[in-house]
Order: sequence, then C-alpha cells, then structure tokens
Amino acid sequence: MLKLLHTADWQIGKLFGQFAPDEAALLAEARFKTVERLAALATQHHVDLVLVAGDVFETQTVAGRTIHRLANAMAGFAGPWVLIPGNHDASLAESVWTHAARLKAFPANVHICLQPQPLLLESIGAVVLPAPLTQRHTYADLTEWFATADTPPAMARIGLAHGCVQGILAEEIDSPNPIAAGRAEQARLDYLALGDWHGARQIDARTWYSGTPETDRFKRNDSGQALLVELAGPGQAPSVQALASGHYRWHSYSLTLQVPSDLDQALQQIAGFGATDVVQVSVSGRIDLAGHRALHDALEQARGKARGVLADLSALQLDPTPQDIDALKADGYLGDVIDDLRAAQEGPDAQTARDALSLLAGVLNDRRAGAETDSAR
Amino acid sequence: MRLSRIRIERLKQFREPIEIQDLQPGLNLFTGANEAGKSTVVTAIRAAFFERYRSGSVEDLRPWGDSSASPTVELEFAIAGTHHTLMKSFLGKKRCELQAGTQRFDGADAEDHLASLLGFQHAAKGASKAEHWGIPGLLWIAQGTAHDIKDSVAHATDHLRTALKDSLGEVASSSGDQVLAAIEGSRNELLTATTGVPRGPYGEAIKLQAQLEQEIERLDAHIAAYRQNVDTLAALRQEQATDEAQKPWESLREQERAAVTALQEIEHIELTLDAQRQRLKQVEERIVLFREQLEAFARQDQEVARRIGALETAQAEHSGAQTLVGSWQSNHEQATRHAETARGQLRLARQEDTRRNHARELEVLQSQAASFADTLANAESERAALLELQALAAASAVAHEDIDTLRRQDQQLRELRIQQQAAATRLHFALDDGCHMQIAGESINGAGERLLVQSTTIILPDFGKLEISPGGADLAQLKQQEIELSDRHTALLQRLGLPSLEAAEQRHQTHARQQSDIKAANATLKTLAPRGIEALRAELAVKRVRIDEIRQALQQLPPSPDGVAAQPTVAQAEAAEDDARQALAGVNESLGSAQIAASKAHNALQAAMRELENAQALINAPDRVQRLASANASLTDARAEQAALNERIATLSAQVAEARPDILKQDVERFGGSAKQYEKSFNDRRERLMQLDAALQSAGAQGLEERRAELMRDHLQAERRIVELKRRALALDYLLNLLREKRRALTRRLQAPLQKHLNRYLQLLFPQARLEIDENLSPGPLTRGNGHGTESGAFETLSFGAREQMGVISRLAYADLLREAGRPTLIILDDALVHSDDTRLTQMKRVLFDAATRHQILLFTCHPGRWRDLGVAARPLETFKTLAA
Repeated sequence: MLKLLHTADWQIGKLFGQFAPDEAALLAEARFKTVERLAALATQHHVDLVLVAGDVFETQTVAGRTIHRLANAMAGFAGPWVLIPGNHDASLAESVWTHAARLKAFPANVHICLQPQPLLLESIGAVVLPAPLTQRHTYADLTEWFATADTPPAMARIGLAHGCVQGILAEEIDSPNPIAAGRAEQARLDYLALGDWHGARQIDARTWYSGTPETDRFKRNDSGQALLVELAGPGQAPSVQALASGHYRWHSYSLTLQVPSDLDQALQQIAGFGATDVVQVSVSGRIDLAGHRALHDALEQARGKARGVLADLSALQLDPTPQDIDALKADGYLGDVIDDLRAAQEGPDAQTARDALSLLAGVLNDRRAGAETDSAR
Repeated sequence: MRLSRIRIERLKQFREPIEIQDLQPGLNLFTGANEAGKSTVVTAIRAAFFERYRSGSVEDLRPWGDSSASPTVELEFAIAGTHHTLMKSFLGKKRCELQAGTQRFDGADAEDHLASLLGFQHAAKGASKAEHWGIPGLLWIAQGTAHDIKDSVAHATDHLRTALKDSLGEVASSSGDQVLAAIEGSRNELLTATTGVPRGPYGEAIKLQAQLEQEIERLDAHIAAYRQNVDTLAALRQEQATDEAQKPWESLREQERAAVTALQEIEHIELTLDAQRQRLKQVEERIVLFREQLEAFARQDQEVARRIGALETAQAEHSGAQTLVGSWQSNHEQATRHAETARGQLRLARQEDTRRNHARELEVLQSQAASFADTLANAESERAALLELQALAAASAVAHEDIDTLRRQDQQLRELRIQQQAAATRLHFALDDGCHMQIAGESINGAGERLLVQSTTIILPDFGKLEISPGGADLAQLKQQEIELSDRHTALLQRLGLPSLEAAEQRHQTHARQQSDIKAANATLKTLAPRGIEALRAELAVKRVRIDEIRQALQQLPPSPDGVAAQPTVAQAEAAEDDARQALAGVNESLGSAQIAASKAHNALQAAMRELENAQALINAPDRVQRLASANASLTDARAEQAALNERIATLSAQVAEARPDILKQDVERFGGSAKQYEKSFNDRRERLMQLDAALQSAGAQGLEERRAELMRDHLQAERRIVELKRRALALDYLLNLLREKRRALTRRLQAPLQKHLNRYLQLLFPQARLEIDENLSPGPLTRGNGHGTESGAFETLSFGAREQMGVISRLAYADLLREAGRPTLIILDDALVHSDDTRLTQMKRVLFDAATRHQILLFTCHPGRWRDLGVAARPLETFKTLAA
C-alpha cells in the first residue's frame, strides 16, 4: 500500500495588502507555518510521499531568504517530496527553481521536476509523471505524454500536474494550462494530483485538486486542507481523506439591518469572531445612532480580536430617532443641520451626508459625554 | 430683573458691611470719590453670580491683610415677579443659598439655576473669565470697557440665541458654535482652510501613494526587462543547442577546402602561362631589334644619295655669289671718283666766299674808326671847359646855413633896435641959436631929437650937467642882447670873408648860376661819351686792331683762280658733295653684303663636301654585307618562334578562363566567412548566455517581484487610507458648510429685531444715522450724514468716545431684545461714558433715561456733577457705609 499527501498552491511570498500592515504580515507568515504543519501531518500519518502540484511560490523572483525559509519549513518530513512548478513559478530559463538550485536550498529528499520525464522512486515502488509548466501560460495539454510513458509494471503510476481540467469551468472563462478530462484513466494513472484551483475538489475517481493548504481569499471553497491518499494496489481506486491544514478561517458576511433584532444578531455574530478568523463584513439597511455606535464599537472590538476585519458600512443608512436627537442635545441650528443630513442621505451626496451625520453625532455625543463627566465631577 | 437690596460684608474695600436698599426699578445713580468702593460693589455683584462659591481662585475678594475673612454678598432681586434672595460667601465659609419664590436651591444647584436664568456659564476651574460671562458680561459694563463690544457679544452669542429662541419662534443652538469650531478644526487638519487642498495626514497619504506608485512603475519596468531577459535566455539556449547538434559551420569548412584546392590548380596553370608570356615578350623585343638594324642599313644608303644632291646645290650657290661681288666692286670705284671731284669744287667755293667777306668788313671798320676819333676830340675839349667851371663854383660857394644864419641875425638886430627905440627916453631939444650942449660927449646945437637908451649925461654949458636915465630895466638888457648878437653877426661875416649881408647874398646868387652851367656842360659830355672818354678811346683802339687782322688774312689767301664768276656757290657745291658721298656709302654697303654672302656659300660648299665624304665612308665599310645578311636570317628565326608561343598561350588562357579563379576565390571567401560567422555567433551566444545568466541570477536574487508585491501591499493600504481620509474630509467639509450656512441663516433672523432697537437709540444720538449689525451680531459700519451726503466708517475707525457711546447703545439694544423675549435684564454702568463731550453726554442721558423706562440701570460715577440732570437723586456710597455703621 502506498500513502501519499497531496497538496498544492502554497503561494509562498503572497502578501495581503487589503489588511492593516500587522495583520498582513501575520497572514503572510502563516503560509510558512502551514508548510510546517503539512510536514508534521506527513510524518504523523507515515506517508510515503508528499506531492506538491505547482504554485509553490507566489512569484518568480523571491529573496533567497524566502527560499531557505521554505526549505526549513519542509524539514519536518524527511521522506520524499515531489514538487512541480505551476503558472506562478513556471520553470523558465531563469526561475525561482534555478535560483533555489544555485542556493542548494533543498535537500536530496526534495525532488523538483522541471522536465516532463518520469521520476522513479524505486524505494516506495512508485513512478511520478510530472507535467511542469515551462511557460507562464500554455494552451497545450502538458499531460499528453503521460499516456505514452512506459513504467515498470509493478510500480504505481502517479500523475502530477497544474492547470485546468477541461469541461468543468464555464466556457467563457479563459482557462490556460488545460488538462484533458479523463486523463487519469486514459494514461492509466493510479492517481492524478492536481493544483491550481484553491479549493479541494474531486474530478473523478482518481483525479483530485487538493486546494491551497492555507486559505488566502474570501471566496467560499474548500480550502485550507491537504489530501491523504491511500493506494491499496495497482488498478484499485484510491481512498482520499481531507486533512485540515489551514490556520485561519476566512469568512464573508453580508448583513442586512431592518428591525432592531437584526442588529442584536449582527452584534452577536461580530462578537463571535476569534483569533483565527479573517472576516469581511458588509452591512446594509437602516440604523439609528445608538445602533450605529454599537455596531462601530463591536467592529472595533472584533478588530482587536480577529486576524483581519474588513467592514463595509457604505450601504447602511443612518436614521437617527427623535430620542437620538434629544440625547445629542442638538438644539438650535444643529437640529436643522441633522434634519438636512438625514434628508441628504437620499440624495446624490448620500455617502457624504451619512458620514457627516455620523461625524456630527460623534462630536455631539463626545460633548455630552464630556459634560456628563464634568457634572459628575 | 429688578435688584432691590445689596449687602456686602468683608469684601475688598468693605471690611465693615454695607447695605444698599431701596433700589429703584429704573435709574439708580451712585456717586463716590475714587476708592470709595464703587467698583467693589460691582465686583461683589459679579462675584455673586459668576464665581463658584467653592472656588479657591477668589482670594482677591478678601479685604487687604485679612486672610481669614469670608467675603459675603447678599442680593435681593425679582425676576418675572418672583422674589429671589441670594446669599453667597466665599473662602472661609463657603456657602451659597438661593431662595426663588418658594423654591430653595443650595450650592452648585443655586449657581446653575442662576446661570441658566441669566444666560452665562461658570468656569470649569479657576476664576471666571470674560468668555464665561455670557449675557451679563454684555450688559454689565466694567470700568473702561464700554467701547469693547465685539468680544462681549461673541461670548454672549450662544446665550443670546438660546435666550431669544422663544421670541424668534425658532431654535437657536446652545452649543452650535463650539461644535462648529470643533468640526472646522477637524476639517482643517485634512484640508487647507481656504483652498481645500489636502494637507496633514490626508496630504501625506496622497504623497505616499504617489511615491509608491512611482516605485512600482520603476519596479515593473525592471520586472518586464527581467522577464524579457528570461525569454531571451530560453530562446538563446534553444539556438545554442540546435547549433551544437548540427554544427552548420563544418559543412561550410568542407566546401571552403574544396574551393581552395581547385583554386590552387588553376594558379599553377597561371604560373606556366605567365612564363610563356614572358618568353613571347622577349622574342617580340628581338624582332623589333633586328628590324631596326635592317632599317639602319637602308638609311645609310639614302644618306649618301641625299649628300650628293646637297653638294651640287652648294656649288651652284657659291658661283652665283662670286659673280655678284665682282659687279659691285666696279660700281664702287666709279662712285669714289665722283665723290672726290665734288669735294674739290666745294673747297674752292668756300675760299672765294671768305675773301669777299673780309673785304666788306674792312671797309666798314675803317669808316667807324674815323668817326670814333672825331667824337673823342670833341669830348676832351668839353671836359676841359667843365673843369674850369667847377673850379669857379668851388670858389663862390657859401653854405646855405650860413646865409640863413646871417639873414636871421640881421632880422633880430633890427627888431632889438626897434624895441630899444620904443622904450627909450625921447629927448626933444630946440636950442637957441648959438647955444650948444653936450649929449654924451657929443656937442649938439639947434633943434633935434635924441633917444636915450641909457644914462646919459647932458652937459649944458654954463648951465651944468643933466644926468638922464631912461626908465625901465629891460632897455639895458635889450642893448646888451643887441651887442651880443651884433658880435656873433660880425664874427660870422669875418669867417666868410664878407663885409656884409648884401655881399653874402650876391655871392650866393653867383654860385647858383655857376652850378647850372656845370650841369649843362656835364650833359653835353654825357652825350658825346656815354661811357666815359676812356671807354671811347678803348673802343677806337679795338677797331684799329681788327682792321690790322683782316688785312693780314686777305694777304694770306691764295690768289683767286680764273673765271671766278663761273664757280658754283657754296650751297650748290655743298649739295653736290653730299649727294656724291651718299651714293658712295650705298654702293659700299651692297658690296659688303655681296662679299658676306659669297663667304657663306663657300663655307656651305666645304661642309657639303665633308658630309658626303663621311657617308660614303660608312657604306664602304668592309663587313657591312655580312652583317646585313646575318640580321635578315635572325629575323626570320624569331618570327617562327613567336608564332609557336602565341599558339601555346591561347591554349593555356582558355584553360584558366574556363576555371574562373576569381569566382573560386569568392567561393573560398564566402564559405570561410559563413563558417566563421556561424562559429562567431555560436561563441558570442555562449558569451551572451553566460552574461544573461549571471545578470538574471543577480536580478532574481534581489527578489524583484517579492518587493513589488510588498509595494503593492503598501500601495493598497495607502489607497485605502486615502479613501478613508477623503471620505472623512468630504464629510467634514460638507458638515462645516452646512453648519455655517445654518448659523448664518439664524444670525440673519436675529439681526432684524436687534437693528430695530439699535436704531431707536441711534436716532437720539445721530439723527438719520444707521449702524449695521454684522453676522456676529456686533456693531458694524456707522453711516451718517455729514452735511453734504453720507459717510460710512467701520466701528473700529470711530473715535474712542463714539465707540463708547455705540457700545452702550448696542448693549441697551440687546437688553431690549432680551426683555422682549421675557428674559431678565439688569444694566450696570461703572463710570461709563467718561470720554463723551457735553453734547453727546446730554444725548446719552436721554438714551439712558429712555432705556430706564424698560430696564433697571445701576450707574456708578465719580463725577456727580455730570449726571445732575438725570432726573434721579444721586446716592453717595459713603452714606451707605455710615448707615451700616
């Protein structure tokens, strides 16, 4: 029996500009940690081989330090690693791989397949047929040769490729690096390990996308996993099990506030964000000043707790109640101003009016709070 | 508001309590000297309202040197009919009690109640300042601040708006201005105040983003170049691999070698061909040589024939020239004879001519010599006569000056004598007959007259002597002069040897006549011998010598031949001789020419004979025939060899032409060049690959794309920050504009009623004048008539006095406005209007009296006299102290 750990799309070197600098740094750092976890999983599950199906690096030109860091992260598994380049780190004349080779960063147990030729791993009785990308994009099927590749009969035939399996994505999506559907069967493969799509996905009985081991976007997919593949023997269907490998959970919430209880629910949800959550919240609907303040405070608290919080309140209309206005003690022309701002939320300057109203409410609230503190003294 | 009682204890000036009662609803005039405590009363009222009773910052309320006192103020007043009693004591005993009707407030409650009633604030900490005083700050005018209205109004504006909101039927804002200021401050942190350009963190974020963008662009260019290089590297490697596999230069080198071999063969043939051509050239040269030899033999024969002809011609020419010389020689002899004859005739003609000339001259000379001898005799006799005359003239000569002197002396003597007679004593006498007398020794008788010019003794015989002395002194002098002159006259005559003047005159005339004769004789002599007698004599001698010479010449001439008359004249003989001579010269010349020509012909003949001899010597050389035959044979041999060579050369040339060595050379060059090109490009490419590889490795090591990702991350963050700040700036700007707009609108609503009240007072002070109210509700420009129109000036440009007056009436107008709104008003004037003149003060008194019909006014002054006609009794402060005591 052969045990494999199938992973892909590590995207080492990816940065997260949409977040605050400290959060972004931690998210980038997490990708190395995840590789460490993969190595630990491989060791823990006594796998024979780890397959990495492309896009190991986010970019071609990374600092030597980054390559070394990756190699160190992989050190936790001493068995064979087989890596192929993907579209982000294609094996060009000069690439991250030639750089790594010059650095002698990777030890002998890490096999980097830069040529489409069979890799015989006699010790474990398997042959890996790699389809490395040698251009950034190609419209030829690089797995074509798998079918004609002769391998010793007793050894498992394992395909390793990076690209788009044909016939699954919508026609209009331009998908380079095509892989013919049914390639595993056609090329008599025991397992075809694919990379490129960041969510784990089974294509057929022997063909899987592992997805990225650490989620890197809000799009809902089965990312943050690696696949533990067991091949009982030649010709037998593989047994595939997803292992959680990601550290951060990426959520995207779209909340609509219509009735007061909606706000309570939203606040509860926001309060529930934990240290491993990366969250995107967009809130729409109407809200009074008190509610707006509460929402604001809750989001601020969540930012303190969660790894990243992106909040979009632009579709949320401020609707102060008479009590709000009384509480603000916005007498005289300030009251007029508030009325105007409320009305303007329906006009062309809606966003600005809303912000202005929020600001004014904030100033008045601060003054009131200050006054109360003063009188309390 | 109506204040009815004030009690002050242990506060500043008042160590002892004072109490002011019976305050009137209208005007209340308090007087007092300086230091009497007017300002202390005002301070006490202010402290009672403005200062917190717990405040520690009111030490100055204590009387000087009384550090334990508790300054206390008690006030009784009515607001809207409700009676209020306020007791406040500070420092030592901190108390505050307010009884408002039935309600009772203690401590801070009491204070806050009053603040909201009157419209002011308390200081958050420390002593109360102007900005806290609100409406009372406006209506209670401290000493010397009446003119300063702007700040007071500003501090009161919010309170005014709040206080007036009911009367406006509109809500004014209690804190609008602070909010506005806060918003404005926040907005100005992000945008410049006037132009709204991003600044502060907003501006910096934009700058940062631009910087990042620029850096990303730069990096993108690097990355693009890097990628391009990677592609180039791949392509080059492909080419290199292909070349290495196919080695295209090798086949080219093969072709090059084949071409070189073919070329070498052809070059060998070409060498042979060159040798043949060399030989042909030599043969051809020999042919030319032989031909020239044969031609030289032929030329020798021709030369002999030509020389014989030339000799004959020379001989003919020589005999012709000899003949011509003979003929010219006979001509020459004839001409010589003819010339000699002509010369003999000319000589004879000239001799006869000389003879004739001498005879003629001799005749003339002889006659001239006779004439000269006559003239000479005449001239000599004439000269003797002249000499005689000259001797006579010399004897009779008297000098002109002497004559003149004599004449003058004679004249003067006569004048002296006349003068003496005129001055002399005239003595008439008529002596009787027989009687005589002696006058000056002279015996006189008869009658007569004498002139006595000097003392004269007259002796009258028998009678005595008479001594008569003529009168006058000059008579003697005249006599003396006469004697001196007469002496000189006589001396001169003696020197001249003449008896008298008349004799002198006569001799002078004789001398003149003789001079004239001498002149005539001289002229005659000049005519006869113009150059003198000696010259005449020399001339005569010359003539006579010449006569002798000619006679001698005639004697020496040969005797004249016969038939002299047939001789030709000299001129004729000369012409004939000239002709003959010229003819001889012409013949002589022709003879010379003929002789030269004959000599030349002779020489030519000699030369022709020598040349013929030489030419014949060559032909007659002994080996000449043999040499001619040998030359002919050699020429024939050489021609045969030439033909053979030409044939071989043609064959070889055809071979070379067929092989095209030039094209073969090009082939060698072409194949070699191509191979070299391939090799070079292969090597170059290898070099390039190494360089590119190294460059890419170093660029890759820099982590360009990783760096770009970092920059993109920062750029995204910067962009997000800009969006946030922009939203905030927009919102703040929007809010600020809205606040300002609303505030302005509200201000405009407040302005109208205030303007109405203000005008009411202003008309009392300046009829027809108008004081604008600006948007801060402060007095603006004052417009008033100046007799011929209107003038307008900003409030600040008015005189201090006028500003003070405007300040007071503005405050009164506010008071009216507040009263209309049902708000409490109390007006306090502490020594106000001290800068107003009497006229204005009179008007201001009318204003105050009018205001006092609506408001309670407390007026404190140290000039009671100025306020005597205010219609109320002045209440000196001293009386209250006394009362209290």
